[in-house]
Amino acid sequence: MSNGPEKQDWRTRLVSWVDGDREPKDQSLFVMEQRHRRRFLPTEEEHERREKTRLHRFFNWYPVAAVFIALTLVTVLLGTVLQMPLFGQESNPINNEVAEHYLEHGEEDTGSSNAVTAMILSYRGFDTLGESCVLFLAVTSVMMLLLKDGEDEDGKLARRSAREADQEEHGDIILKRTAWVLTPFIFLFAIYVLLNGETSPGGGFSGGTILGAGLILFSSAFGQRNVRVIMDRKTYSFIRTFGLMLYALLYGAYIFFGANGLPNYLAGMALLIDLAVGLVVACTIYGFYALFSTGEI
Amino acid sequence: MIVLEYILLISVVVCAVAAPLCKRPLVMVIVYMAFSLMMAVLWSLLQSPDLAMTEAAVGAGITSILFFLTLKKIHALKGTKDE
Repeated sequence: MSNGPEKQDWRTRLVSWVDGDREPKDQSLFVMEQRHRRRFLPTEEEHERREKTRLHRFFNWYPVAAVFIALTLVTVLLGTVLQMPLFGQESNPINNEVAEHYLEHGEEDTGSSNAVTAMILSYRGFDTLGESCVLFLAVTSVMMLLLKDGEDEDGKLARRSAREADQEEHGDIILKRTAWVLTPFIFLFAIYVLLNGETSPGGGFSGGTILGAGLILFSSAFGQRNVRVIMDRKTYSFIRTFGLMLYALLYGAYIFFGANGLPNYLAGMALLIDLAVGLVVACTIYGFYALFSTGEI
Repeated sequence: MIVLEYILLISVVVCAVAAPLCKRPLVMVIVYMAFSLMMAVLWSLLQSPDLAMTEAAVGAGITSILFFLTLKKIHALKGTKDE
């Protein structure tokens, strides 16, 4: 092995590479000996037989592997749980002053008398902001995957409206009557839960879910065309984005003005944040239903 | 009240075991729905009505609807073959 020529070689190659010459000077280093690829085409029966044995082997080994993996996981998880402190003991690390502070000063700090809402929307608002973003992105990706084009290609729109009209005429009478009675009350309850999140159980997530469920009931009973009257795709996107932006803006202001030591001017803000979360959640739930059932909003 | 709690806990476990053992997907979803409903009652007995409301709406309502939609799309329900 002579070092000199090889180094020289390496330098010339680098220079030529810098100059833009893509062909290596010494081809023997790069091009391996070319060999004819083995052409191996088994017959049809041979192929089938081989597949069958492979499947057979797979199904023989599958339960063994499954049990093994499950047992390993169970052992690891049980071992971890046994290492944890016992439930309900006074010396546990969760029994510190944080929970007490939340319960005692929650009302004056955040202005909401419901401790859970104070926790979710004020103390740990960033957490909820992240959750709202997750919901928003989930709907966005489902829309990217499932949303059909809104353009009228070869009378697609006409066919759609014909199908919907047919659905409306021949819909289930029990479902229709039940929805006719129940929907207003569901909406009323949803709005009640949304607006009372500050003082009573409920809040953005529960209220938004109930609102979305009411929308689903209405749309499955009376067709999506009737939902589209109040909320077409543009409005839907606007409400969704508006909810998230409102949350981000309000929570930013909340942190900015209500920071440590400053007086809290924004006591009633939890209500608005609740509303924003509720809008995002309701839109998410209705959007999932609409996209999964027909691919349109 | 404690008796009701015990009954609910036992039924939750029974439902949880029964759900994956069902043969038909439709029955599976309904058993899962029952599981969610009992969990909702349990949450409210454990004094967390927030969770109870969300569980009742999401677990028993929306998840099941999405499951049903999926079953309809893959023609696993009766009467959806000819579409």
